[in-house]
Amino acid sequence: MTQHRAAPPARQATETASVPATTWREACLAERDRGGRFRGAYATATDVGHRWTALFADGATTRLLSTEVGAGELVPTIVDLFGAADWDEREARDLHGLGFEGRDSARPLVAHPRETASWTVPVRGEGPYQVAVGPVHTGVIESGHFRFHVVGERILHLDPRLFYKHRGLERAAEGNSPERGLAFAQRACGACAVTNSVAYALAAEAAMGLVPDRDTRRGRTLVLELERLYNHLNDVAQICAGVGFAPGNMAFAALKERALRLNHSLARHRFLFGTVAVGGGGVEVSADDADALLGGLRELGEDFALAWRELSFAASAQARFGGVGELSATDVEALGAVGPAARAAGIAVDGRTTSPGLWYGSDFAPAAPPEPSGDVAARLQVRGVETAVTFELLRELLAEPIGPGASEHDEPDPRGVARVESPRGETVCAVELTATRRIARVHLRTGSYANWPVLAHATAGNLLPDFPLINKSFELCYACADR
Amino acid sequence: MTAVAALIQVLGGLALAPLLPGLVQSLKARLQGRRGPSPLQPYRDLRRLWGKSGADPQPTTLVYRLAPCVVAAATALALLLVPIAGRAPDWSLGNDALVLVGLFALGRFALAAASWDTGSGFALMGSSRDLTFAVFGEPLLLLALLVAAFPAASTDLVAMSVAAGGSAPWGEPAHWCGAAAFALVVLVETGRQPIDNPDTHLELTMIHEGPLLEYAGRDLALLEWSGAARHWIVLVLAAELFGPHWGGFWAQLGWLALGLVALCTALAATETAQAKMRILRVPGLLAGGCAIALVGLASALVGGLV
Repeated sequence: MTQHRAAPPARQATETASVPATTWREACLAERDRGGRFRGAYATATDVGHRWTALFADGATTRLLSTEVGAGELVPTIVDLFGAADWDEREARDLHGLGFEGRDSARPLVAHPRETASWTVPVRGEGPYQVAVGPVHTGVIESGHFRFHVVGERILHLDPRLFYKHRGLERAAEGNSPERGLAFAQRACGACAVTNSVAYALAAEAAMGLVPDRDTRRGRTLVLELERLYNHLNDVAQICAGVGFAPGNMAFAALKERALRLNHSLARHRFLFGTVAVGGGGVEVSADDADALLGGLRELGEDFALAWRELSFAASAQARFGGVGELSATDVEALGAVGPAARAAGIAVDGRTTSPGLWYGSDFAPAAPPEPSGDVAARLQVRGVETAVTFELLRELLAEPIGPGASEHDEPDPRGVARVESPRGETVCAVELTATRRIARVHLRTGSYANWPVLAHATAGNLLPDFPLINKSFELCYACADR
Repeated sequence: MTAVAALIQVLGGLALAPLLPGLVQSLKARLQGRRGPSPLQPYRDLRRLWGKSGADPQPTTLVYRLAPCVVAAATALALLLVPIAGRAPDWSLGNDALVLVGLFALGRFALAAASWDTGSGFALMGSSRDLTFAVFGEPLLLLALLVAAFPAASTDLVAMSVAAGGSAPWGEPAHWCGAAAFALVVLVETGRQPIDNPDTHLELTMIHEGPLLEYAGRDLALLEWSGAARHWIVLVLAAELFGPHWGGFWAQLGWLALGLVALCTALAATETAQAKMRILRVPGLLAGGCAIALVGLASALVGGLV
C-alpha cells in the first residue's frame, strides 16, 4: 500500500492490520518475530466498546495491530511478552476502563488511590523500609512521587508515581480540527514542544493525505535539532549538578542559556513554540538569519568543545559516573528503552535513521558511546557525541535558506502515525480523524513515557543518594507523561 | 589582653561566626563565575528566621522542641573553650580539648534524637549518615587533637596553641600529619564538599541539611547559627593549632585573621574543584585521615624517645 510513496517527498509508511482478541497475543508475537519493536498501545472508543491498537516500529515502517473488544470484554495482556506495554495497559485501564486478562495485577497508574499498597510492589524480607519523596520537592522540580524500598542506603525497588498534573490533553483535542489539534500536542511539554509538535504534525498530515515539501522538512529538522541542542546541554549541566560539581553545572547551564537565546533570535521564542504548523511552514530562515545563526552556533560549538574537554578531565566528577545506574542491553530490549539511554547500552536505535518525513541523510547513524556500559557515564558520553553531531547537522541545514514550506496532496492513511526522535528518545504520535475531518483520537507516547519504567529499573541495586544522579542521567519530563 | 581575647571569643563566636560561611559562599560564587550573595547573607537569613515562630510537626515531643536549644547551648559552650591568639580567660570551664569532642557529640546526638522524634525520612537519613560518619570523624578529631597535644604534653587548648606557635613545630613531621588530618576534620565538621554539599536541594543526598528540614523560624535560626559557630570553632582551631603564628598577642591576632580568610578561601576552592564523593567512600577518606594522624603520633613518639 505504500509503494507509490517510496519516491521523495517521502512520508513514514504505516501498515494496519486487525485481528480478533483471541489471537491477539500470537499476532503481537508474530510482529516481534518479524523484527518489530513495541512502541506503545492505545485505546480508542468505538460504538460497541474499544479498539485496542499496538504500534510496532520496524525500520521506517510503523505497523499498527488492532483488535476490537466489546463493552466489558477483556483483552489478553501482552505485558509478559513486551515489558514496555506495562504502562500502556495500566493507563488504558485507568483512563478508558479497558480490562486485561492474564495479568496478575494491573496496579493503578494514572488513578491515585490513597492506600500505598494498592499501587506499589510488595517488598518483603528482613529490614526493608520505604522512603517517600515528593510530589512536593525541596527544589524546583515537576510533581512526581517516588517510593523507594530500601535497606540501609541500598535501593531494592522503586515505584514512581507520576500523573499528578494529568491534563487530559488527548481527550481535550478530540473534536477539534487537525490544525488546531497541534496546540494540544505542543503544550504537552515545554522541553519537548518541538518534537511533540512535529510528531503530531506528521501524523495529522498523514491522516489528511498531506506530504510536507522540502522546505517544511528542512525547517522541522532544524528546530528539532535546536531543541536537542539546548536539551542535551541542559542534561549535561544537570548531571554535573547531580554530583555537586558546580563548575560543570555553571558552564553547561551558561551554554544552554546561549542556545535558548539563539532559539529566540530565530523564532522569537526561547523554547521554539510556534515553529511548526500542520501542512507546512512555521519557520522560515532567510540567508541573513542563517548566517547569524551559523555564527552563533559556531561560537557555541567551540565553547562546548572546551567545556566538554574540561569536564572529561574533572576526575572527582568522572569518578561518580561509572558503574552507577547500569542498564544492560537485555533490559533495553525487554523494557523498550529509547533514546540516549538505549544507545548508551549499545542498542543502536535512533528515530532519526528512520524519519523520511524529515531531513536526515540516509547515512545518518545512531551515536555510539566509546564504551556502551549503560551507566551514567555512558549516557553522558552519548550526549556529548550527539551534541557534536547536532552542531554538524545544524551547519548542513543552515547552508542554504529555508523558504516558507507547504505540502502536497496525496492519499490519506486511515490512521496517521509518526515517530520522531526527541532528546529523550523516540516519540510516537497517532492521529485518527472522523469522516468530517475532526480529531477522533490523538495518542502521544513520548520518549520520556517509554523511559520512566526503565529509569525505575535502572535504579534498583544502587545507593539512595545516587538516585538524583541516575534520574538526571535520564532527565525525563514529567509533563510528557502527565499529558 | 586576656580581656580582648575573651571579647573576641564571645563576640567573635556569636557575631562574627556567620561571616565565615557567608565568606565561603561568596568566594565560591566568584570562583564559579556567578555574582553570588554578599558575605553578609547569613546575617540576613538569621534575622529573617528569628522574626518567625517555629513550627512543631505532629506528633513530636519535648525531644524535638529542645534539640535546637541543646545544639546551640553545646556549641556556645564549645566557643568558650577555644582560645584566641593563645589566650583564654578563666571561665572556670578549663580548656580541655577532649571536652570539645564531647560537646560536638552532644549536639550531634540531640539532632539525631530530634530526627527520631519527627520520624521524617529525610531527617533520619541525614542523621544516620551523620552518625555513621561520626564513627570515623570523632576518632579523627581526637587523633588530630592528640598530635597537637604532644608537644604541649597537655590536652589544654591554650597550652597546645602556645606550643604550636613559632617556627619550631614546622620541623616536626608530626605537625604536618596533624595539619593534614585536621583539614579533613574541617571538611567533615563544616559539612562541605567533597563530604557534604551545603547548597543542594536534592533531599536524598542530604547529610547535615536533612535533620534541619523539619525546623522553621527561631529553631532553624538557632541551628543555622550553630552551624556557623561550628565553622568558627574548627577554623579557629585549625589556625591556632596547625596554622603559622608568631610573636606577641597582637601579632598572633593578625595571624588568626589571616588564617581564617585563607581557610575560607581554601574551603571555597575545594568546594568548587571537587564534586561530592560517593557516600560510602567517605568513611574510607576519614579512616585515611585517622591513619595519617596515627603516623603523626608515632613520629612524635619516636622523636620523643630520641
